[in-house]
Amino acid sequence: MRVAGGTLLRNLAGSIGILATVAGLAIGLPALDNALPAQRPVGSGSYPVGGGVTVTPPPDARLDVTLTRPGDTRGTAVFLVGSVRYVIVVTPFHGTLPEATERLRRKITAVRGHEITGQQFPTTTASGLPGVQGTYAAPGRGGRYLVFAGDGVAIEVTVAGTAPALRDALGAIEASTKTIAHRGGTA
Amino acid sequence: MTQTLRASRSAPVHPTPAWAHPGKSLLLPAFWVVLLLIAGGGLRLVVFIRESFATYPTATLTALVLFGLYAVPFCVFVAALDYLEREPPLLLATAFAWGGLVATSISIRGNAAVHNLIAKLASPGLAAEWGSAMAGPTVEETAKALGIVAIVLVARAQVNSILDGVVYGSLVGLGFQVVEDVVYAINAVAVAGRGDQVAPVVATFLLRGFLAGLWSHTLFGALAGAGIGYLAVRTDRSLFSRVGVAVLSVLGAMAIHFLWNSPLLSLGGGAGIFGDLFVKGLPPLLMILFLVRGVRHREADYYMAQLAALGDRRIATPDELRVLAHGHLRAGARRHAHGRAGIKGRHAVRRLQRAQARLAVELSRAGGIAVAGLPLPPATAVAPSPVGGAGVAVGVARMVPQPPGALVLGGPAAVRWRDRVLVERGRLLALGHPEATAPATRNGSIRRVVGGVAIFLASMVAVGLALIALGAS
Repeated sequence: MRVAGGTLLRNLAGSIGILATVAGLAIGLPALDNALPAQRPVGSGSYPVGGGVTVTPPPDARLDVTLTRPGDTRGTAVFLVGSVRYVIVVTPFHGTLPEATERLRRKITAVRGHEITGQQFPTTTASGLPGVQGTYAAPGRGGRYLVFAGDGVAIEVTVAGTAPALRDALGAIEASTKTIAHRGGTA
Repeated sequence: MTQTLRASRSAPVHPTPAWAHPGKSLLLPAFWVVLLLIAGGGLRLVVFIRESFATYPTATLTALVLFGLYAVPFCVFVAALDYLEREPPLLLATAFAWGGLVATSISIRGNAAVHNLIAKLASPGLAAEWGSAMAGPTVEETAKALGIVAIVLVARAQVNSILDGVVYGSLVGLGFQVVEDVVYAINAVAVAGRGDQVAPVVATFLLRGFLAGLWSHTLFGALAGAGIGYLAVRTDRSLFSRVGVAVLSVLGAMAIHFLWNSPLLSLGGGAGIFGDLFVKGLPPLLMILFLVRGVRHREADYYMAQLAALGDRRIATPDELRVLAHGHLRAGARRHAHGRAGIKGRHAVRRLQRAQARLAVELSRAGGIAVAGLPLPPATAVAPSPVGGAGVAVGVARMVPQPPGALVLGGPAAVRWRDRVLVERGRLLALGHPEATAPATRNGSIRRVVGGVAIFLASMVAVGLALIALGAS
C-alpha cells in the first residue's frame, strides 16, 4: 500500500493550507484583537446603555468596548474606574423587583468563590427609580450590586475591585448610579 | 438517453476506483491533521460539558438529549439523499465531528475577536448591531468549508459527485448546528439566572432548532459542499472555473448567512422572527433545496443508466428505474408492496431496491456502463451469466431465463449484488408482486407540496405559541 509522491505532496500542501487557515482564525484574529486597546475614554455626559437606559459615567472612567453592547431592547456597558469594574446590564424583564434581585444574586453566587455578604437596602436614583443594593465578596475582591426593575426592564449593576481600589472609586460610582434613568422616567 | 446525456454533461460521477483502500488515508498528512484537530476540539467540548453538568446537570442533560434527537431527522434526510451511492459512515462521522468539534472551537475564538475588532475599530454599537452578521458568515463558513476540503483531502476517492459534496457539507453544518445550539442553550440557562431550569433550554430548542434551524448551518454547508464537490469532481473543467465555482458557492453560503444574521429586512417586534422566516429564511431554503434536487437527480440518472444498460428486466424494469431514482417514489413502492403483499412485500421491495442500488454502484466502480451510450471500456469484464436457459427456481417461483444479449458486467462484487437482486426478485414473484413500482397518482406532487406547506405553517404557529408560553424574548 503506497501513495504516489505527487499525491503526497499535494496532500501535504493542502494540509498546511488547512492548518494555516485554522491558525489564522483561531490564533491570528485573537492576536490582532489583543494587539489593539480595548478601553477608550467614555467622555462626559449621558451614556446610552441600551433598552432606553442611560447613565452618566464617573469622571475619568474608561469604556471597555469589547464587553459593551448597546441595543434597542437590552444592553451592557462596562466601565473601568481605575481598576474597578463598573458594569450595567439592561434586559427585558416583566417580574417584580424582588424577583430581579433574586436573579442577580443567583448569577453572582453561581460564580465560584462569590458570596453575598450582609444585608441589602433600598435605594433610588435621582430620577426616582426604586431599587435595592447589597454587597458581595470574591477571593481578593469586594463587590457591590444594585438592581432596578419595572416598566419591562431590569437594570443590574455590579461594581467589583480590590478593597483599596473600591474604596477610592466608590464615591464617584455611587454618584454615577444615581444618574441611571430609563426612558419615560421610571424603570 | 436524454437523462443519460444530461447526467454526463452536467454532473459526471467519478466512481470510487476498485483499487481505493481506506487504509491509504493513514498515509496522508491530511488524515493526521484532521485527527489532531478533532481531538483538540473534542477535548474542549468535553471540558465545557463537564463544567456545565457540574453547575446545571438537568439543563445540560436536557440540551444534549433534545439537540441529539434534533439531529435525527436531518440525518434521515441526508441518508435519503445519499441512498444510491452511500458514503462511508466513518467519513460521515468525521464530517459531523469537524463541524461540531473543530469548526465550533475555531468560531468561538474567531467570532469573539471579530466582534471585538469591530467594537475597537468602529464602535460597540456597530458591533452589537452588525457583529454577528460580519463574524458569523466569515469565520464560521470558512471554518466549515475547511472541513469539506479536509474530507476531500483525506478520502478523495470517496467524493464521487457534486451530491457527495452536498452530503459532507450538510453533515459538517449539522455538527456545527447541534453543538452550537447546545452551547447556546446552556448559556441561556446561565443568563436566565434561575438555577438549573430547563425552560431556557426548551426555548432555545424551539427558537434556534425550529424557527431558525431549517435555514441554518446545515443549509449553508450543503451549498458550500456543492461547490467544493464541483471542484473535486469536475476535472473535465479548467482549474480556474472549478475554483471559481467553489469560491462562489462558499461566498453564497456566507451571503445567506449574512442576510440571516443581519438586521437587513428584519421586521422587528415580537412577530419579527416570523417575518424573518419568510423573507430571509424561505427563499434561500427553497433555492438550495432546488439545487440539491438537481444534483441528486443527475447522480441518479448516472446510476440508473448503469442498470438500464444491462437490458435485463429481471434486474430492473424501466418503471423500477424511474422509481429507484427518487426517494418519495421508493417509499411509494414500498407502501404499494405493503398494500399488495403485506410486510413481507414491503421488506422484499426494500431489499430489492438496496440491492439494485448497490449493483449500480458496483457496475460503475468496475468501469461498467459508461454514460451517454459510450462503448464499454476495454477493461470491463463480461462474465457469463450463471442463469440457465430454463430459468432458476427462487422460493416457489421460477425466474425467467436471462434475455438473449443481456450483459453481466463488473467484478465479483457486482456479480454478488446481481445475484442478490435476482434472489429478491424471486421473492417478489413468489409473493405475487413481481415489480417494485409505485402507482402513478394524479396530482401527487401538488398534494405533497400543499400538505408539506400546511404542516410547516402549523408547526411554526405551534412553536411560536410555545415560545410565547415560555416567555421567550
